[in-house]
Amino acid sequence: MDCRTAQPSLSAYVRGELPPDVRSALQAHLRECPACLASLTALDPIAAALGQSQEPPAPQGFATRVMAAARSRGKPVVAGDWDPLHWWRMTPAPMRAAAAAMLVAGLTAGLATGWTARPATRQAQDTQAVALADAVAAYHMDYFGDAPDGSLADGYVALLAGRNGEGR
Amino acid sequence: MKTGSFEFNVRELAMPTPSDEELMLNVRDGDLAAFEQLVPRRQTEAWRVAYRFTGDAAEAEDIAQQAFLRILDAAPRYTPTAAFRTYLYQVVTRLCLDRHRKKRPVLAESLPDPAAAAPTPEEHAGARDRDRLIQTALDSLPADHRLAIVLRYFEGLSGVEMAAAMGRSPKAVERLLARARAALAPRLELLREK
Repeated sequence: MDCRTAQPSLSAYVRGELPPDVRSALQAHLRECPACLASLTALDPIAAALGQSQEPPAPQGFATRVMAAARSRGKPVVAGDWDPLHWWRMTPAPMRAAAAAMLVAGLTAGLATGWTARPATRQAQDTQAVALADAVAAYHMDYFGDAPDGSLADGYVALLAGRNGEGR
Repeated sequence: MKTGSFEFNVRELAMPTPSDEELMLNVRDGDLAAFEQLVPRRQTEAWRVAYRFTGDAAEAEDIAQQAFLRILDAAPRYTPTAAFRTYLYQVVTRLCLDRHRKKRPVLAESLPDPAAAAPTPEEHAGARDRDRLIQTALDSLPADHRLAIVLRYFEGLSGVEMAAAMGRSPKAVERLLARARAALAPRLELLREK
């Protein structure tokens, strides 16, 4: 780089808008050209002062040590491996929104159905319990109360209670 | 405007093949060889930011290594929404600030010698003195001011790139940079007198 190309690049240099290779070339030129360095100092004294600093290179063998550490950590989880949330991340946002809406609608419908059916089920259970108690009391069959399941006595009580073969 | 298109063309011409982003997509698919190609390509940026921030070579290596390993761990979720270089700066920046919260940085004893230049002993001593002064001035700044100075003046990042790396808005970064410059300027006076 020479002064002709360096001078117009100084403003972009100060704003951090030069590509890395052009920036390096300009810095090398500034180290050798007092006139361009003076122009830069007038534009931005801090850039001029810090630009003279030597660029420290990465330590010898750094990349090798990083790779050794990377390998010692074992095989990374790759995109193709099983991942329960992978499909969710890969699905477009509108589809995710639709799936979430369907899930919420399904849960709401399930809850509403269960809530509506609940009183009817309880009423049926209560009726059955009252019938059994009435039969035992009316026919003085309370001694059959402890009859073992599946015995003749149990069957008779069940018949009186109107259970007709249903379990107790 | 004219400069912008010139810069764009230079960026295009200077782009290595395969690009960083292409390599990262391969890493995402489990290709460790792609990562092995990427690390030497970007090691200097990662190490240099950490070194300028901490002023300590060993700590800088630790931070830079951790940055690459975090990127590897997060590779399965990688999507190339920004330049890989910006992503790397973002990870290193976070690690630097995390480290700073735990511990005060140590002042640099010396900077590594530049590989290419072979200065005379006098020039060498002068450069070392200057670098030590610069590092001491940097170390005296608050952590976020120091990072702003490092990213702009040592790494040459634009306001938008700095904003992405530091997780702030471009306007906030410009304000931060202005404060950092105001704080650093008197500390560099000694350098101008030399």
